[in-house]
Amino acid sequence: MKSSPKLKWSLWDGLVILAVLALAAACGFRFFPSGAEDTELVAVITIDGQETDRIPLRSFPEEGRSYSHNGYTLRVQASAEPSEEGVSVTESDCPTQDCVHTGVISRSGQSIVCLPARIVIELQGGDGGTDLIIG
Amino acid sequence: MKRILPLLCAAVLTLSLSGCGQPKECSAEFFAMDTVMRVSAYGNGAAEAVSGISSRVNELEALLSRTRADSEVSALNAAAGERVKTSGDLTALIAAAQEYSAAANGAFDITVAPVVSAWGFTTDTYQVPAQETLDTLLPLVDCQRVLVEQDPDSSDMDDFVTLGSGQSIDLGGIAKGYASDCAEYLLRANGVKSASVYLGGNVYVHGSKPDGTPWRVGVQDPADPNSFIGILSLADSYAITSGGYQRCFKEGGKTYHHIIDPATGYPADSGLVSVTVVAPANRAEEPVPGHGALCDAFSTALFVLGEEQAVTLWHSGTYDFELVLVTEDGRVLVTAGIADRFEQNEESAYRYEIIS
Repeated sequence: MKSSPKLKWSLWDGLVILAVLALAAACGFRFFPSGAEDTELVAVITIDGQETDRIPLRSFPEEGRSYSHNGYTLRVQASAEPSEEGVSVTESDCPTQDCVHTGVISRSGQSIVCLPARIVIELQGGDGGTDLIIG
Repeated sequence: MKRILPLLCAAVLTLSLSGCGQPKECSAEFFAMDTVMRVSAYGNGAAEAVSGISSRVNELEALLSRTRADSEVSALNAAAGERVKTSGDLTALIAAAQEYSAAANGAFDITVAPVVSAWGFTTDTYQVPAQETLDTLLPLVDCQRVLVEQDPDSSDMDDFVTLGSGQSIDLGGIAKGYASDCAEYLLRANGVKSASVYLGGNVYVHGSKPDGTPWRVGVQDPADPNSFIGILSLADSYAITSGGYQRCFKEGGKTYHHIIDPATGYPADSGLVSVTVVAPANRAEEPVPGHGALCDAFSTALFVLGEEQAVTLWHSGTYDFELVLVTEDGRVLVTAGIADRFEQNEESAYRYEIIS
């Protein structure tokens, strides 16, 4: 029986191995991304079904943000204090004031809805533990 | 060759993996039926289903809204007791409403509309009506007086509805539930395996989540909007909550909520703070009123009836549903069929009981 040829490692072999490892790592990151970015609470503002703003609570401007639609204007403010992280509509000129009465929301999945203005402020991210909320 | 071949294999492997990962999501958020709605569907058929559901809900609103002057319900209400030709949707929904009303001893009644109007809930101009006003309106409340002539085979014959003299109807307590029945039908018709439908607090979850786990549906604590009484783990299920705290106003130091007891004309005062009704998917071959409409109607009816009658109806087994009740005296009651899918909030002050 012929003996197998002696294998000699060359630079090209090393480069091929590195390429395969790099591809494997890239696949890993593509399909199993790090979960770190999911733990931060983010306020997502949609107007008439279209996403308008997406602001992490920690980066929310201290003076708040105003949003207007359908002739009504809402002022949205956030508190990023670790013990009371949340967002609320502090002012609105809509007739029902349901959005203001909702108060502060602080859990992922919760939302504040202003029907007359068709503006929704929803909290996403964090570790709320729920997909939907009823009640 | 010995280098090129492994590289080629690696490239082919990478390309083949591009089919993995999460199934494609299609979502829409829109306003209809006086509330916000969100539909998210995953995988094949998702885009068609979401688009279809949005259209269907808007179509239903055009038919069923009492506050739209050009709706079919408005035309029926304006007909002053004349026999009116009605669409299949409206006829079927009125018939279903009558059935659920009978099952709940009249605690759910679509003809309570004039009383609800007297309280200002339809125009957002809340007020406490005078007793004389209620005394005049209460005799009009009896949905069994509505004559429904429904073509039994859904063939070419027309359907007709005739309201009793002086009556008017409001389908607000059942329309969103019916819309969720229609959503289930469209999801199934488009071959969607995983979806969530949120229609202003009426939830239908289709299949499981894309990762195969059940949908986690939090039930809000009536006393604290930032807390849950518990979390339901659901698949292929409807879940709807009714509670006075959802819509109320204060006058003269008292709080009045929007769930009117058809018997008294006043907000229900039965000892319950919230009622959540859970039922399985319909898997129906036709888009007819099903468990969505049932959960919607019963969440209102059982809130009016109170704990004892709610549990009696559940025990009867006539309808396939489960309950989560929150009582005024601080208890959370969970029926046996849903207990293993309900995760209590260990940090809450409520006393949890399983009803068997």
